[in-house]
Amino acid sequence: MIGSSLAFSRFVLHDLRLSARGFASMFGPARPATVWALLVLLLAGLHAAAWPVAGWLLGVEEGPGGAARLGAGLGAGVVLVLPWMTAQSMTALTRMLFDRSDLELILSSPVGPRSFLAARVLSIAVDSVATVGVLLLPLADVAALRAHGHWLALYPALIAAGLLGTGLGVTLGMGLCLAMGPRRARLISQIAATAVGASFVLGGQVVAMLPAPMRSVILGALAPSDSSALHALIGTPVRAAEGDPAAILGFTVAGLAAFAAACALFGERFAEAALVAAGTPASGASAANRAVRFGRSVGAALRTKERRVVWRDPWLVSQLVLQAAYTMPVAVILWRHGGPTGSVGVAFTPALVVIAAQLAGALSWIALSAEDAPDFLATAPLSRRAVEQGKIAAIAQPIAVILAVPLAALSLASPWAGACALVFGAGAIASAALVNLWRQTPSRRSLVLRRHAQSKLVGLMEHLVSILWAVAAAIAVIGSWKAIVPVAGVAGALAVNWRFSAAGARGRSTGRLLGE
Amino acid sequence: MSVEGAPALELRSLKKSFGRPAVDGLDLEVAPGEFYALLGPNGAGKTTTLRMIAGLLQADGGDIRIFGIDARKNPIEAKRIVAWLPDEPMLYDKLDALEYLEFVAGLWSVEAGAAQRSAEGLLESLGLWPHRRERCEGFSRGMRQKLALAGALIHEPRLLMLDEPLTGLDASAARQVKSLLTERARRGATIIMTTHILEVAERLASRIGIIDRGRLIAGGTLDELRLRVGENGATLEAMFLHLTAQSSSAA
Repeated sequence: MIGSSLAFSRFVLHDLRLSARGFASMFGPARPATVWALLVLLLAGLHAAAWPVAGWLLGVEEGPGGAARLGAGLGAGVVLVLPWMTAQSMTALTRMLFDRSDLELILSSPVGPRSFLAARVLSIAVDSVATVGVLLLPLADVAALRAHGHWLALYPALIAAGLLGTGLGVTLGMGLCLAMGPRRARLISQIAATAVGASFVLGGQVVAMLPAPMRSVILGALAPSDSSALHALIGTPVRAAEGDPAAILGFTVAGLAAFAAACALFGERFAEAALVAAGTPASGASAANRAVRFGRSVGAALRTKERRVVWRDPWLVSQLVLQAAYTMPVAVILWRHGGPTGSVGVAFTPALVVIAAQLAGALSWIALSAEDAPDFLATAPLSRRAVEQGKIAAIAQPIAVILAVPLAALSLASPWAGACALVFGAGAIASAALVNLWRQTPSRRSLVLRRHAQSKLVGLMEHLVSILWAVAAAIAVIGSWKAIVPVAGVAGALAVNWRFSAAGARGRSTGRLLGE
Repeated sequence: MSVEGAPALELRSLKKSFGRPAVDGLDLEVAPGEFYALLGPNGAGKTTTLRMIAGLLQADGGDIRIFGIDARKNPIEAKRIVAWLPDEPMLYDKLDALEYLEFVAGLWSVEAGAAQRSAEGLLESLGLWPHRRERCEGFSRGMRQKLALAGALIHEPRLLMLDEPLTGLDASAARQVKSLLTERARRGATIIMTTHILEVAERLASRIGIIDRGRLIAGGTLDELRLRVGENGATLEAMFLHLTAQSSSAA
């Protein structure tokens, strides 16, 4: 067996090279020098954006009770970041089990699985740290530049948090695999990651909605002076982030220990789980109770197929629901802040319209651009228009299911607002679907959340029409005829998009998706 | 509407270029009920030809007639009676085998009773019946290929085009597929198949066409091909190598 430290370093270099090439490919065919230049520009931009935020934070720190307030803020950050990193690692680990790209090659080589697992888990940790770091570390740099060098302690604290979160995530992920098998573990970890992600956004709003005394108790529990059980858990990370050398050392040791223990304990188990995953039928369960009805019409066949394809992909559904969940806090803020925006109707109707547009955008992209078998559909005796109509009709059901409860609740609170949400939401759905219909970009379904990277114009148009419909809905709820102005804006935007896409289509080879 | 007495497939001066000519004025005629093997070296234009017939690629020029229907002018009419099976099966991972066939039958508007009987029969004969309620994502390469074939056959196509249908199949699966195809040909379906396994073409096909650089360089029954190369008793492999080498040296 090859020496484990040598194998580990080889795997780390291998993963680094793959990550670097993957990152560089995001910039298209640019030369390395251009990529570096863009990277430097990006970092400069992030630091420029962090400058005013850091100024505000330093103002808080230097103000009355600053240390306690900052400590509470850091505590809240730890409470949010650590579970997020843990959930991300859990998901990444369980996905890794099913990623057959190089797993079989590596597991069939004479290299110990611990080295491989350690290298892959390290790349998960780097990914988590980089995702959070890109937001937090420019703040630390700017604060250090403004003579508050102790903020640089965020660097080791974040790295330690990454190691600890990843170690915990691997432990939980492997625990799930061992307890219920890799396939169920993957599903549960995906749902957990979604729930943690949603709680990230919703949690803050829930706290903001609590009565002031309860809020004080929670914020107090996060403060460094507190002696509660919660603080016992997060005290060391908070002090590490504040720059306490002993805490930095302790937190780093804890992170390293969790990481090393997870790799050492689960290396062999991971290899076994990968073998089990490879041999697990993707869907072993018999589905004899599911109805199959031959003789459906073409439209019904297409709708049924699309419905099954969407609802049977738990990851996809969880991402769609999460996308909807992220929009609600904005409505809560509008509602809570009173004034002209303080009515339930004005706050929630536009939010529902935006959610409807987002769901329609994602689902129409899935149905039109992420078709699994475009060539097969192109051989069916149907016009392209018939296929597209069937697919667009199919997306209505999942949207209706996801929005039914919030729409009913809004209608109970304000029937007029409910009616507006229904009408303007339908407009938003149709608009988002049309944008995706006119600009199809064949791709894989799993890239649904990154679909706008393929066509920035579609992303821009989707956001534009959803905002315009939301504004129109808000104006309509107030009862003003001026709602027609943003609706006219939507019509104009769609007309421009149609013209642009039609012009583009002439230059493209015809029928890429459906062999027209 | 198809024309009585017309060839199952008639290609006249068919052309397609991807920078360089892939199909270069191809003329080909296949009679109804024939089992036709289309052979050629890699890059000869076999798949491009079949994709144009299936309506997946637009021809640059020439005519495609399927049972007399002009497939370039009336693609939907033509598609009603054609099935296409690519070398990489196109399935929906989240559907089970029976649901996939239900979907295909819906697209071709197959009557409910006939579709059900056909689906059950095809799944039985291809050994997929025990897996009928399992999702395609768990299927092996061979199972996927067989299910795609069942999908191609469920609407009883008059012209069936198969691109390397035996790739990736084990001996038992290959036998199931071959016997199903032979049975369909006996029942009057016209089958056009590309393959690199020359023994299969030799054993199954009633006529063989060899294309190279997008042109038909030879066509006919095995005996007609032997006459052409002037070697009595020559194997198809020997004739194929002889004819393609001749074509290369002439180019």
